[in-house]
Amino acid sequence: MVELERYVTFPLAGKQFALHSSQVQELLMPAPLYWFPHTMHSVLGVLMRRGKVVPVCDLGQVFGVPEEVSFYVVARVNYFGRVEEVALPVDGLCQLVQGDSSPLSEPEPFVSGRLVTGNTSVPLLDLDRVVEHCIQPVAQAATEATR
Amino acid sequence: MAEGRRDGEQRSFFIARAPRAQAPGIGPVILFSAGGVRFAVEATQVQEVLGGDERTTRLKPKVTAPLDFALQVGLGAGILERVLVLKPGDCALAVTGVERMAAIPRLTALPGIFRGMERSWYRGLLLLENEVVPLIRTEYWRKLGAELEARHG
Repeated sequence: MVELERYVTFPLAGKQFALHSSQVQELLMPAPLYWFPHTMHSVLGVLMRRGKVVPVCDLGQVFGVPEEVSFYVVARVNYFGRVEEVALPVDGLCQLVQGDSSPLSEPEPFVSGRLVTGNTSVPLLDLDRVVEHCIQPVAQAATEATR
Repeated sequence: MAEGRRDGEQRSFFIARAPRAQAPGIGPVILFSAGGVRFAVEATQVQEVLGGDERTTRLKPKVTAPLDFALQVGLGAGILERVLVLKPGDCALAVTGVERMAAIPRLTALPGIFRGMERSWYRGLLLLENEVVPLIRTEYWRKLGAELEARHG
């Protein structure tokens, strides 16, 4: 019998995605966002969470801008070889579900597979890749854009 | 019973797995504003604070021209009403205002996702009365002041 695994599903700009539960630290209600000058493209600011600061990453350039932040999904990413926590603003309901993953039949950008749960299939977000794509120093992003 | 155990696992999964932040204590800090944003500098690194009028008359000859702090961190040219002279007295930062001192705040490292110039600008982030304030890295600003002085005379 196949052991189903746990995943967290959440909407990004209206489209459902999933992450394996081991990658998700917690779900946060909307909280004050602190901003200070920095050079990182797509970092909106930081959240304070039990004595730690967690950067909030805007994935809008890939998925579109959320209309309203309902939750922050705090997840671990491997960012240039270091495991970091980031918060993703999501604009709808998050759910903890059980399911099985399946490989992609055709490559999809920033998707590593499909979560199959019941009759539904949800793209599994390749968070490492999408964060690495979006979060770059501004000068570097400008350089890459002109290549 | 098994169901209850599963619920418990889920709850602990979402509630608290984060380790406590490394938070070495530092000495008192001076909070200042520039470009509408609040920053902090260790009080032990500040030689004196001058008013806008004093900066032309009281800055010692060896002090380089004050750096417009807001401009340097990308906030645009700031309103410059105060000057923070950093020890040993050869570098000055022009800022909007000096607000107050805060004693023994908690310092946390800049998250690794910040990997641009901010790693030079700041030593870390202070968690201060439900606020996050960057603590400036004075050695960087002293070096920048010396470099700009050497370049422009």
